[in-house]
Amino acid sequence: MENLTIENISCEAEGTPILKDCSLNVNKGDCIALLGPNGHGKSTLLNILMGNSRYTVTSGKATLDGEDLLSMPVDERSKKGLFMAFQNPPDVPGVVTMDFFRGMINARLEKPVSLLKFYKETTAAYEKVDLDSDMASRHLNEGYSGGEKKRNEILQMLLVKPKLALLDEIDSGLDVDALKVIADVINEMKENGTTFIIVSHYDRLYDLVNVNKTAIIVNGKVALEGDASLAKRISKEGYSFLEKEYDIKLEKNEKKANDVSIGSCAVKQVIAK
Amino acid sequence: MSPSVLVPSNRSSQNSMSNVIIDPEVLSQEITLSSDLDLRYFISKPLKDVKQTLVFHVEENVSLNLLMVDFAYMNCNLDVKVDLKRGAKATLSLASLNSHEYEKIFNLDVTHQEVDSFSRVKMSGINAGKGVLKFLGNSTIVNGAHRSDTRQEGRITNLHPEAKSTASPALLIKENDVVASHGAALGAYNPDQIYYLMSRGLSMQQAKKLITFGTLLPIIEQLSDEDLINKAKTVLEDLSI
Repeated sequence: MENLTIENISCEAEGTPILKDCSLNVNKGDCIALLGPNGHGKSTLLNILMGNSRYTVTSGKATLDGEDLLSMPVDERSKKGLFMAFQNPPDVPGVVTMDFFRGMINARLEKPVSLLKFYKETTAAYEKVDLDSDMASRHLNEGYSGGEKKRNEILQMLLVKPKLALLDEIDSGLDVDALKVIADVINEMKENGTTFIIVSHYDRLYDLVNVNKTAIIVNGKVALEGDASLAKRISKEGYSFLEKEYDIKLEKNEKKANDVSIGSCAVKQVIAK
Repeated sequence: MSPSVLVPSNRSSQNSMSNVIIDPEVLSQEITLSSDLDLRYFISKPLKDVKQTLVFHVEENVSLNLLMVDFAYMNCNLDVKVDLKRGAKATLSLASLNSHEYEKIFNLDVTHQEVDSFSRVKMSGINAGKGVLKFLGNSTIVNGAHRSDTRQEGRITNLHPEAKSTASPALLIKENDVVASHGAALGAYNPDQIYYLMSRGLSMQQAKKLITFGTLLPIIEQLSDEDLINKAKTVLEDLSI
């Protein structure tokens, strides 16, 4: 990947506008800290790039090395070198992790990967993220702890070797050791040419991976860009300086009331005598 | 093949059956279990279009493991009723595929009659045609069956827009100090799962196939008969997804 250009993208989900004229330029080798208050569009931007059908792009475009990204199906984007580490990866009961990994690797190959190579690569990846390789025989993400899910996302990133990795709050809920493990993998992949856009609310991961750019999404658009010091400033001061110094006023995210109410059944309450 | 509704798949279970004999030709049977029983069945061809009923009375501290895989190309109506004495345990698993316009109804009921009894009921299905697939079942905990633990679960994936599926796992709890839960999932593919799998490079069809296999395989693979497992996998491979 040489360049990703996001131009004036607006999008909505279930009729609610989220991104509004959002633009960002990403060059090969960038490691971008993508910050912003909750609900202002960080995860939405990553999902738009990956192709989540929950969001409808109403205007704008995104091109990857000159190719129209938004017209590609999700799997094609992945094969073009995009990877997204999910904030909340879904459980996929019944799907054995090993079978999924094999399908994931084979999707990029003309001939299926040999068993020996597959075994070596997955074993090495499990070791790097400090997970027990026995987890490969478990169902995908089912019963995983929060930390295991995050490591499993990074493990998949290692296996597919993407050109552009989108990491959505990959550090949330991680202890210090796990954070270090993930940062080491990111640094190694950076050296091998992977470009990163990293969403996080904290600067500890940004410090460990030495981001070179910061982009702040406010009110559905990239309102301010800067170098790594901008991410540090936000971590220290929050977003209040945006209004004072840049006249960027944060809109409140007020959720509309749903048209329907949802009830749920419950089992009889257990009361200890 | 003889016309039988139930084809036992695990030869080893014959040993644990001791004095228990299940005759697939008989429509209704009532069995009292005084020792552990592990029965795994591949339902390949129903006997008649009438309801078949199996009743198990599980004695104190005895376990029943009943696993059924239904790939029959005909209507099916099976009623399993289990009642549990003190410390008794029942695990009932069903994997069902309705690939045509048949009517398949499964009703798995468990009654916890005494304390410290345990049950798990899991029904997983794929409705690939315009037919009927019904997963019904009650877990009942009667008065006095303290510390009993039960779960009823039904999950059906519809592959056809006109599939008529029902999953209704119910709880009838008449005692406190118990653990009881139920879960039902019904419908087409979960879009979050499809998106996740596709974001790793799998095509829509590959993603759907993995999920479809995943619905039934964990149960099928417990058949402990390689021929039957492979036969079931071949049927799944040939499904139009």
